Amino acid sequence: MRHENDVFRALGDPSRRAIFEHLTKGEAAVRDLVAVFEISQPAISQHLAVLESAELVAKRKEGRLVFYRIKPAGLKPLVDWIATYQEFWLERALRLRKLLEEMDDE
Amino acid sequence: MSETKSFALDFDLPFPPKKVWRALTEPALMAKWIMPNNLKDAPKLGDSFQFKFDGPANEWWDGITHCEVQALELHKRIQYTWRGGPLDTVVEWTLFETPDGTRLHLVHSGFKPTDGHAQGGAEMGWKQKSKTLAKILGELS
Repeated sequence: MRHENDVFRALGDPSRRAIFEHLTKGEAAVRDLVAVFEISQPAISQHLAVLESAELVAKRKEGRLVFYRIKPAGLKPLVDWIATYQEFWLERALRLRKLLEEMDDE
Repeated sequence: MSETKSFALDFDLPFPPKKVWRALTEPALMAKWIMPNNLKDAPKLGDSFQFKFDGPANEWWDGITHCEVQALELHKRIQYTWRGGPLDTVVEWTLFETPDGTRLHLVHSGFKPTDGHAQGGAEMGWKQKSKTLAKILGELS
């Protein structure tokens, strides 16, 4: 069973997020992703493995080709509004601190 | 009310409570660190106002958070509802004077157990998560 952090970690990497977003347009073979992203095949495969263990993508083999596709249910269960707002306020507090530094003193 | 959840965060700020209070209640300052809003003056008890999320709206949320001031103690405490999309929550800020400045205590409450399963929320959650976590980690380290 995947943990929320797996998904977060998977999509937190910009390259992986780009690969994931590309797959939302449709299934793609690994070699096509290599061509599109101009990253080495081992690197693409590593990214896909992380996405797969986060249950965001699924693969199928056809002969010697491996195709990856989005798992539609992948993103659904993981919104945790409490976690979302914890992060929201943590980030806002950083802005608040900066603002307080810039404000004139009373 | 059926069981709801809340969380608390504390921020130690090296500034006096009156200054922190200004940031919490002056509309132009609130816009800088929370979100753009439609306040003209500092909110009073019973006032309603709105924050506008500066991200894309979707079919589950128009990006507007509706707030109504439920409690207000000058320089000490302000509490307002925080309603938008699937959320019907309450935000409470309490200020404690400390030797080094102010401890700002936040309680955000009213999250229902089902507040985790809306698809629309997932998208907003991802935008929040992926944009802010990297920044937070970067600035906290």
